[in-house]
Amino acid sequence: MTGAWSLVAALALLLVLGGLVLRNGALLAMALPYLLFSLQPFWQNRPRPDWKTKRELEPDSLMGGQPCAIKVELANRGEDLEEVFLTDLLPPDVKVEGNTEYHGPLMAGRVETLSYTVRGVRGKYEFEGVSVTIGDLLGLRREEEILPCSGTLSVIPAADHLERMKISPRRTRVFTGMIRSRESGAGVEFFGTRGYVPGDPLRHLNWKAGARWDLLITNLFEQERIADVGIILDARSIMEIKIDEDSLFEHSVRAAASLAQYFLGEGNRVALLIYGNYIEWTYPGYGKQQRARIMAALAGAELGEHAVFKEFGSLPTRLFPAESQVVLISPLRGEDVVPLRYLRGLGYRVLIVSPDPLSFEKRLLPQDGFRELAESIARMEREATLAKLRRSGAQVVDWDVTGPLWLALKSGAPERRR
Amino acid sequence: MIPWAKRAAAVLSGIFLMALLFPVGSYWGGVAGGVLNLAFAMAGKFPPFLRRFLPSFALGINTVLSAYGVIAGGPAVWAVPIAVLSLFSWNADWFGQRWSDAPRPVRSRYLKRIGSLAAMGLGAGLSALAFQGRFSLPFLGALLLMLTAGALCLGLMSRASKNLR
Repeated sequence: MTGAWSLVAALALLLVLGGLVLRNGALLAMALPYLLFSLQPFWQNRPRPDWKTKRELEPDSLMGGQPCAIKVELANRGEDLEEVFLTDLLPPDVKVEGNTEYHGPLMAGRVETLSYTVRGVRGKYEFEGVSVTIGDLLGLRREEEILPCSGTLSVIPAADHLERMKISPRRTRVFTGMIRSRESGAGVEFFGTRGYVPGDPLRHLNWKAGARWDLLITNLFEQERIADVGIILDARSIMEIKIDEDSLFEHSVRAAASLAQYFLGEGNRVALLIYGNYIEWTYPGYGKQQRARIMAALAGAELGEHAVFKEFGSLPTRLFPAESQVVLISPLRGEDVVPLRYLRGLGYRVLIVSPDPLSFEKRLLPQDGFRELAESIARMEREATLAKLRRSGAQVVDWDVTGPLWLALKSGAPERRR
Repeated sequence: MIPWAKRAAAVLSGIFLMALLFPVGSYWGGVAGGVLNLAFAMAGKFPPFLRRFLPSFALGINTVLSAYGVIAGGPAVWAVPIAVLSLFSWNADWFGQRWSDAPRPVRSRYLKRIGSLAAMGLGAGLSALAFQGRFSLPFLGALLLMLTAGALCLGLMSRASKNLR
């Protein structure tokens, strides 16, 4: 029963009670219309619907920001329904375009279809079912039930296309790739010269040097190989800044996805470590399958505030092969300098992509006289932190998230050679 | 159609309320009831919060004022139409708020249903008053009204009992 029914029933009871207490027949007569109205839901035939539901998601796996067309079909195989409210129960944090509700009659044998589009940011979105409310035309009776009609939408983080970026880990793997190995062999980049040894290809002879030294000198070329790349995503909740729908962590996830895609595309062996609530480790691997694994891990990445992982001191460095390339994506704090220097001291090549929290947070600051001063102090602190890391030998890319990542990488991470 | 029926019912219930309360000397009550029903009839452009609560408020006030009029010895014959018209206008407004763009067949089905309910309520109430002698209806007329309302009530009760089973 609805609130409207309660009001009429209460008035009917009041009049009946008043009539009985005051022994006033006119009040009892006056109560009759109210009684008839309040009894109406009981004598009205209660319709018995028999539902059949179907949900289609097209596609059911996509990248963040891409649209997914959803079609929900509800077939009434039971009796006629005079008034029905259908509402598709949506998971939180999805953006909807279109109508997810229906209000109207639904006769026996008819099918009602809800068609709309959703866009998700990242993660798994579970659609549970459809809320169905059946009412009568007078609005005095209402029955609500949830019809199970499940569906899962997987949204992997969107990855940007990155331009050629050069990394130079100390150790590479044996297979041919795109990273200079600092060893001579088959390659295209000039590496050095040495005396000719029988068996060397004649087309590699350096005739100018030979003429100068009166010896046969052959050119050496640098081998290009693949390398181990470990990507660390900082998921500590203290680093998160959220302004309305925009989240700094989501930018970090997007950067991690872009970098993973780029390094895998170059043929490297890539691993992912999400550092936050616990250590979520995706084992190193190659190719498309590894890309899918990493994207799935990033899709489920969540912020955490575990006391153990508050600092980078608990970073499990042994997970990464010795002297490999480590890429850290973190907004960075002053306290992070020491553990990252230690990482560098262990022989890893460290590339830090740091989404700039100051430029991101700037729009939250009030427009007053202290804003500029506060911003310049915070900026100086950040510059000092980044300078310390650069001095320790890490490549640091200060990324203003309002701009594209490829541009920041191009201007902020010049090619480094040992 | 439904909004106009609602307006007409609200205005009529205000007029009947005045007709009930003026003879017992409650001028302020009658005027207040009349103004409230007039406001309810023109509530389409009121702010949403007022629009939401005014129908229930008007129904409650109409009931209280007409009960007061009956207890104070006013002509009870007006009390039943006031109750029926108040219920009609309140429910029509609720339907309009809930389903403003209802298709024509739904609207006509709704009007039939609420119309039959209102007619039944009017018949039952007036026949009850006639049998009490508060309403100068010939005995045959009162009996016919009573029998019709009673038969309808019995039919509906048996249907209700079937539904409850």
